Amino acid sequence: MSSALVLVLVVAGAYLAAHVVFEWLAARFLVVSGTEYLVLGILAGPYVFGVIGEGVVRDFSPLMTLALGWMGMIVGTEAYVPKLLRIRRVYYRIAVLEAAMSFAAVSGLLWFALHWGFGLPPRTAAIPSVALGAVAIASAPSGILVVGKQLGWRGPVLAQLAVASAVRGMVAITAFSLLICLVHPAPPATSWRPPTPTEWAVLSVGIGVVGGALFHLFLGRERDLDRLFISLSGAIILASGAAAYLGLSPLFPTMLIGMVLINTSPNRDQLRQALGKVERPFYLVLLLFAGAAWEPPVGGPRVALVLTVALFLIARMAANLGSARLATRLSWMLPELGPGWGRALLGHGELALAIGLNYVFLEFAVMPHLVFTATVASVLLTHLFSARLVRAVARTDVALFVAPNAGDTWQPDDPEPARS
Amino acid sequence: MRRLIILAVLLGAMRLVLPLGSGGEGAETLLAFGLLVLGAYTVGEVATVAGLPRLVGYLVAGVVFGPSVLGTVTEAAVIRLGAVSRLAVALIAFLAGAELQWSEIRERGTVILKIMVAELGFAFVALIAFLYAVRGFLPFTHETPYIEIAFIVLFASIVIVHSPAVTMALLAETGARGPVARTTLGIVLVSDVVVVVMFSAAMALARALVEPATATPPSVAATVWEIGGALVVGGVLGVATALYLRVVRRELLLFAVLIAFLGAEIARLTQVEMMLTLLTAGFVTQNLSRDGVGEGEELRTAMTRAAAPVIVIFFALAGARIDLRGLVQLLPLVLPIAAVRAGAIWAGTALGARWAGASPNEQRYVWLGLVSQAGVAIAIVSIFAEAYPERGAELAALLLAVIAVNEMVGPILFRRALVASREVGNRRSGATEEAAMAPPPPGPSPA
Repeated sequence: MSSALVLVLVVAGAYLAAHVVFEWLAARFLVVSGTEYLVLGILAGPYVFGVIGEGVVRDFSPLMTLALGWMGMIVGTEAYVPKLLRIRRVYYRIAVLEAAMSFAAVSGLLWFALHWGFGLPPRTAAIPSVALGAVAIASAPSGILVVGKQLGWRGPVLAQLAVASAVRGMVAITAFSLLICLVHPAPPATSWRPPTPTEWAVLSVGIGVVGGALFHLFLGRERDLDRLFISLSGAIILASGAAAYLGLSPLFPTMLIGMVLINTSPNRDQLRQALGKVERPFYLVLLLFAGAAWEPPVGGPRVALVLTVALFLIARMAANLGSARLATRLSWMLPELGPGWGRALLGHGELALAIGLNYVFLEFAVMPHLVFTATVASVLLTHLFSARLVRAVARTDVALFVAPNAGDTWQPDDPEPARS
Repeated sequence: MRRLIILAVLLGAMRLVLPLGSGGEGAETLLAFGLLVLGAYTVGEVATVAGLPRLVGYLVAGVVFGPSVLGTVTEAAVIRLGAVSRLAVALIAFLAGAELQWSEIRERGTVILKIMVAELGFAFVALIAFLYAVRGFLPFTHETPYIEIAFIVLFASIVIVHSPAVTMALLAETGARGPVARTTLGIVLVSDVVVVVMFSAAMALARALVEPATATPPSVAATVWEIGGALVVGGVLGVATALYLRVVRRELLLFAVLIAFLGAEIARLTQVEMMLTLLTAGFVTQNLSRDGVGEGEELRTAMTRAAAPVIVIFFALAGARIDLRGLVQLLPLVLPIAAVRAGAIWAGTALGARWAGASPNEQRYVWLGLVSQAGVAIAIVSIFAEAYPERGAELAALLLAVIAVNEMVGPILFRRALVASREVGNRRSGATEEAAMAPPPPGPSPA
């Protein structure tokens, strides 16, 4: 059967299954949709039923690169400065501290495990552990959005969660992209000397910032949604393609382009709408192919591999809870936010999978399938209940919340992506 | 102008950093794809300023960025992006079918059929006569007279093909809905079926005289299945789509793309005519949908949205496939053939329109919409080239050159027809032309 037909049938089947079964479950038990596509991808993939073969996954890798670019752009559009300035500064301090501590804790612990457990040299062990650290802090915003919409975006905890989720996404993408720049192999024989890690980083930033400035001029004052969509698609495809061609992550340059465009374009509302038009289809494709791209990890005894995945899950949970509490305490905000709001950040979703998938496809990745298996396991365990985790934390806070202070309410511009 | 400069800067930057990349086919294809989208979009905007259809801009961008001129989009990338072209054709065909209302077919069917019969018949005969007269200059002079005639008939059966893709894309771009637009669309769609039959008959004639290279040449039964099967498969797909709209009716953008993909793949696997399959599916969906709750209209809007970027790429890729050097070499032969074809279309349409008692505007302007050629014609040439790889190679090159000329000139003529018949405004800007349209002349309602 042709790869295109396989893709179409799987997507159609997944969508119908989700529509018939999952929406009822979602409404009844407040679970977030998405995991079912990942499970379907794993089942249809080469290691279970083999409906989607390895060739199909390879054939559609440009589509996945594009999905990564699209996701980076959406993360970037969260950074609309006037909106960010309306939020209390202390929330950012807590969010940045919490993200940095979580990242350091998970990366450090995994580095020890990989170094001692698998005998990897220190530098080599740092590659998968930093990737896992980046994956660990990429929280799913979907649960926060669902609960925020339900409870009306009131109270400091929801505001803190929204800020923390956005900051975590940006820190995760930046850390992962820096990792790629640091370990980037020299390009095939050219007349130039191979670029240094700093130069790769500059290139990555350059594609984003220069691309953002050029695309800002290119888009101009275009307000027609369809034409804006065409030119925006061209911009994301070109930037993602350029990053992938250079062996860099498409997530980072497109995130920067998103930041530049959302802050400089006069047509930012249309821009968000154009991006939101295909956000869900891209998520769906990404989840399906992430499932299909999964392979059992190799490179050590099976028990050690399973233990490493378990260690990642525990480390992530402990780091999230601990660093959120510590960051809140250090910022003197425990009375307002409480000690347990970090639980709401446990939900893992599309961005984590995007980073994991990006890592799997890197030529120089160390233990790629271990990293990806840990990511998939974490998403499977937490994404489904991410909204319940958020609600458990936010409900009490919202019930106690009386008079809104300036900056205590988070008003997302577009809490739910525009859908066709 | 600003966009052209930015595009040049992007191109320069790309050339500068690309030596640092190790690439990979996928990444290279994405790069070419992105550049082609932005390039085609920019040149399309420039074309509207010059009063030309955007399609022409997309084609020109394809030529400029393609292997013939700058070579930014390589031949390998063009081949790998073929899936996008197929998706575009499928979306266009579905949209074209959805444009057809059963009530309109009952009302205008006779007019469309009469014009089509006269036009196709006249063009076919005139082209055979002309090609026979100039056979000394054609690439098969060393053959026996019978073989010459067989190839001339085959050649003419391909040259008479129209382009549903160009017609639909231009109607979508201009928003034209008047009698000239709708009659042209009707003729183009119905003739899509007829030309497949004519080509199959011409192939059968050629096959009787010259053994084809392919092991299993298409038989009569295969041709019947190609058309009949397309109606069946398209019908089933249409019913399924209408059911989806009635029961689920969500995620229409994604669903639109899936339907187009699915239809194209099923058509390929069952070996039925792809455009006819999707056309039938669109027609059945539209006519089974409940108008009161806007089911069909919603899907059509979603399809139009999904088609917008793929149409840009489809025409840009069509431009990239044009072999400019080959075209220039063959121009002395191509131009007379294109001129005779255009003249024959004009005469045949005028004759048919009078016979059918069509309106003066239809009599005067419909022929201009029938000059375009694109995807269907190219697909038929590839079948021919596959059947006769040695004898047909030069002939195929000539055919592709004729198609390239009609591909460039056709949209310009069709737009002029729509402007002249006051079905679309004569604006020289990038704004939506629908907004600038003059009040439409009386004609059948599109919905």
